[in-house]
Amino acid sequence: MRAVRRLAAADEGAAALGLRPGQKATDAMALVPELTAEEAEPEADAAALTALADWCVRFSPAVAIDAPDGLFLDVEGVSHLWDGEAAMLRDFQARLTANGLPFRCAIADTPGAAWALTHFGKDRTLAPPGGQGELIAPLPPQALRLEPDTAAQIERLGLRRVSQLMSIARGPFARRFGRVALTRLDQALGRETEALSFRRPPNPWFARLAFAEPISTPEDMARVTADVAAKLCARLELEGRGGRRFEICFHRLDGKAMPLAIGLALPGHDARRIAKLFAPRLETIDPGFGIEVVTLTAEGVEPISARQARLDTAREATVEEGLAPLVDRLTNRLGEDRIWRAAPVESHVPELAVGRARPLARPADARPWDRAAPRPTRLFRRPEPVEAVMALTPDDPPTQFRWRGQVHRVRRAEGPERIGEEWWKGVIEDVSVGHVRDYYRVEDAEGGRFWLFRAGLYGNPSTPPQWWMHGVFG
Amino acid sequence: MSDFRASLRAKIAAIEAHARADCGVLPFGDARIDDCLPGGGLPLGRWHEICGVGMEVETAAAPAAFTALMAAPLARPGPMGGEVVWVLRRDDLWAPGLMGLGFPPERLIQVCARDEAEALSIMEDALATVGVAAVVGEVEAADLTAGRRLQLACEKRGATGFLIRRRPFGGNARREATGSAAATRWRIASAPSEPPAGEFGLGSPRFSVELERCRGGRTGAWLFEASQAYEGNAYDPEVEDGTHPLRLVAELADRQLAPALPFRRAG
Repeated sequence: MRAVRRLAAADEGAAALGLRPGQKATDAMALVPELTAEEAEPEADAAALTALADWCVRFSPAVAIDAPDGLFLDVEGVSHLWDGEAAMLRDFQARLTANGLPFRCAIADTPGAAWALTHFGKDRTLAPPGGQGELIAPLPPQALRLEPDTAAQIERLGLRRVSQLMSIARGPFARRFGRVALTRLDQALGRETEALSFRRPPNPWFARLAFAEPISTPEDMARVTADVAAKLCARLELEGRGGRRFEICFHRLDGKAMPLAIGLALPGHDARRIAKLFAPRLETIDPGFGIEVVTLTAEGVEPISARQARLDTAREATVEEGLAPLVDRLTNRLGEDRIWRAAPVESHVPELAVGRARPLARPADARPWDRAAPRPTRLFRRPEPVEAVMALTPDDPPTQFRWRGQVHRVRRAEGPERIGEEWWKGVIEDVSVGHVRDYYRVEDAEGGRFWLFRAGLYGNPSTPPQWWMHGVFG
Repeated sequence: MSDFRASLRAKIAAIEAHARADCGVLPFGDARIDDCLPGGGLPLGRWHEICGVGMEVETAAAPAAFTALMAAPLARPGPMGGEVVWVLRRDDLWAPGLMGLGFPPERLIQVCARDEAEALSIMEDALATVGVAAVVGEVEAADLTAGRRLQLACEKRGATGFLIRRRPFGGNARREATGSAAATRWRIASAPSEPPAGEFGLGSPRFSVELERCRGGRTGAWLFEASQAYEGNAYDPEVEDGTHPLRLVAELADRQLAPALPFRRAG
């Protein structure tokens, strides 16, 4: 059996010739013999839509993808930047059209209504607050984003308008067309909320600067970084809040968005400090033909206690003055995983007993390490093999061993300290006596102190004992 | 009279060392070593170089343990207390071990640098930061310029630097820098422990310590013991009696230690 080739999409010219998506390719060829068809590339389309969603962040931080060919933008609270929704919609569509993307747009209270209006209503419809019901009433039932089966059934029953569906009582409607159809209707009318999966969560801590002339010099970029930081930080300071993470995004003329992010160890709203943290990395931004818009978002926003700068000079340093900026500088320079404070983890397995906490985080509640148990100063991430181990009896500590090509004669030893596997954490089939470790603390003739262990047991051919060096005490 | 003499001696030592005199010193609490050091203790607001012996040039466990013990009073709450930043090249420093020795791990921030120059610049940055009492860095070598920069950073806030000389695993020995801006240079080796009579196992960790260079002071060699290590009550902020975690066991005759390893000279 051969698969049927169908049209996936048709542009305006093709539609004028009577071609429509879903048509068989052979039928289309019969209609238009000189038809040029390209293979559909759904993955590339999806990638392009994602890129477009990123581009749309310049209009609103909350963008959701409506596959395969739509986008939802939450414009609540951002339209004033364009002097109203109409102007914003015009600007939005003009920019899309200029890039060769003929989108239909509408603004409504609910995503459902906006979808209905863009797909079946007049282009660039602005539904007044609460007025979406009247606007979608004359549209066909497909405008409610129904399943094909449901839509076909509604069609069969002779219902041609959304208004006819709206007049049916809810009970019979749900019984006849299913709950999903009722939910769709409620969502369009705003009787039920709809959760959109935004590309990034809507963030009220958002500042934006647009330029009449595109900028590209490093000095300008540093200046606008400071300006946009000052703009956002003024708002943060007014509300007594600070952000932990700031992301600046440079929107280029060619539609590419260049993001940069920094993190703070303690939430803050010091514009100068934030701009300073961005400064060394601005050179990684390629301005291309110029940057027209810059946006800054703050994440992890939380209240911070307002501090008054003290007048006396002889005082104890506070964390905010010294340590936090240092941690920020190092974190942004090296990466978050390269600066840490060791935190206890409740585990007997040595390499699992130390976790990495953020340097200025509150100490965890885990039980601290046992002070009385001798533990090495240096612990090797991977235990190193120890050779030529000699012991008087199998369970005795070694009397001599070779490690890194040097023979050590053991003068004193302590042990064994048996550390078992955390069998309750893993897969029970993988648990083996071969994973039991007997640790010995030994001192050689020169005074070097080592932490050795023997994995496996004598007399068990499946798990021959093997000696390892796990750490050095010094 | 002796007060006057001590203050005069401190002033002379400061003039000799070309450093600020108001950073204070950290005494070991034993005259046998404190008399060798300018001002009667480990000079604060300066940086100190700590080297290992033999295999320890690569593992640097004994130098790290000794440095943690020396810096422990700086990490405890108090007038000179603050955070300790430890700059590493390999992240094999293990906090439970430091805690067992008596160093409070909750005051330790560890940073892993990607290369030597970065480690030195992080040290410099941390030394000049408010709230940091001491910075320990593990680097292969600091040349004269880097050393002077470290010294300037130390003087900014009076923080104390400890530079552990550590060769990367498998690397060739670099030529030792001829001069150094360090206030002191120590060579640390583990020494056999002496458990109390009749007890099995290991005693408290011991270190044979050689003070190879000391600006404004005298050199010497001693045997130290971390007598409070692994006792379970090594450090308790409630009962802070101010004793140094290192106990001087014996003074070693000069150069009694194993001679410093002959360093292969490159080139």
